[in-house]
Amino acid sequence: MTTSNNDEQRQMLREFEEHTMPLMPRLLAQARALTNSEQDAQDLVQETYLKAFRAWKQFELGTNLKAWLVKIMKNTNLNNLEKSNRDKTRGSIDELEDWQVGGAESLTARASRSAEAEAMENLPTSTVLKALDTLPAEFREVVLQAIVVGLPYAEIAANMGTPVGTVMSRLHRGKKALRVALAEYAREEGYLNENELETEQE
Amino acid sequence: MADFDCEETKRHVHEYLQAELTEQEMDEITAHLANCDSCEGDYDFEQVFNKVIQRSCTEAPPEELAHRIHDRIRLILDQGHEEAEA
Repeated sequence: MTTSNNDEQRQMLREFEEHTMPLMPRLLAQARALTNSEQDAQDLVQETYLKAFRAWKQFELGTNLKAWLVKIMKNTNLNNLEKSNRDKTRGSIDELEDWQVGGAESLTARASRSAEAEAMENLPTSTVLKALDTLPAEFREVVLQAIVVGLPYAEIAANMGTPVGTVMSRLHRGKKALRVALAEYAREEGYLNENELETEQE
Repeated sequence: MADFDCEETKRHVHEYLQAELTEQEMDEITAHLANCDSCEGDYDFEQVFNKVIQRSCTEAPPEELAHRIHDRIRLILDQGHEEAEA
């Protein structure tokens, strides 16, 4: 007697996946901008999809599915944030001195800029994601919201509850710290050849 | 408005690439870049860097994530049946 019910649900799952799966790359990109790590981003996408499936009957086909999913994802993320109360330390990051977030100059003086750019382009995705995970949360969020999602500074500032100047400074410093981390990985993984480095390296 | 010398130009690289400047500022920087190899190199580098970040964050999500989600939904459905049958 549950067989027809079963079939119906399988059919619903097929329909759900057919519509929502193609949107996953865009959602994951946004999830990365909302979370502290690759793992958190993937977990957020998973939670979003599960919630969306439970609510699938309420979704009207033909209306904006991506907007609907993004809304679920943002609400889910807000709930998670409230639960983990991770804002406890917020505010301290902007007071760090530049040397504490890593200066790119000392490294870039050693590798030629074109060698560094080439090494960066050759780095595998997984390495870039790993480097992004090393950034302080506030830097990571701004870098991804600006560069990946393409939000204007004003919107990022509103999202984070900070002045636009803070967004600017976090973007500068976030990219700088990421550049240092990437140069380090590129060297470790052999994408940046020691021969391309100049001599003053300790 | 202050002219864009090398220091000013280099300082505004992110704002330029994010189009967060006035049209006039954008034009002045563009003009400076046309005549300055050093600044142009900086801007080119940051642009490559942005592309690397974009590419990494939008490239195919791990197939395993789609599978994991599929399996979780199936599990929810199956559990639903058990409860219904119980």
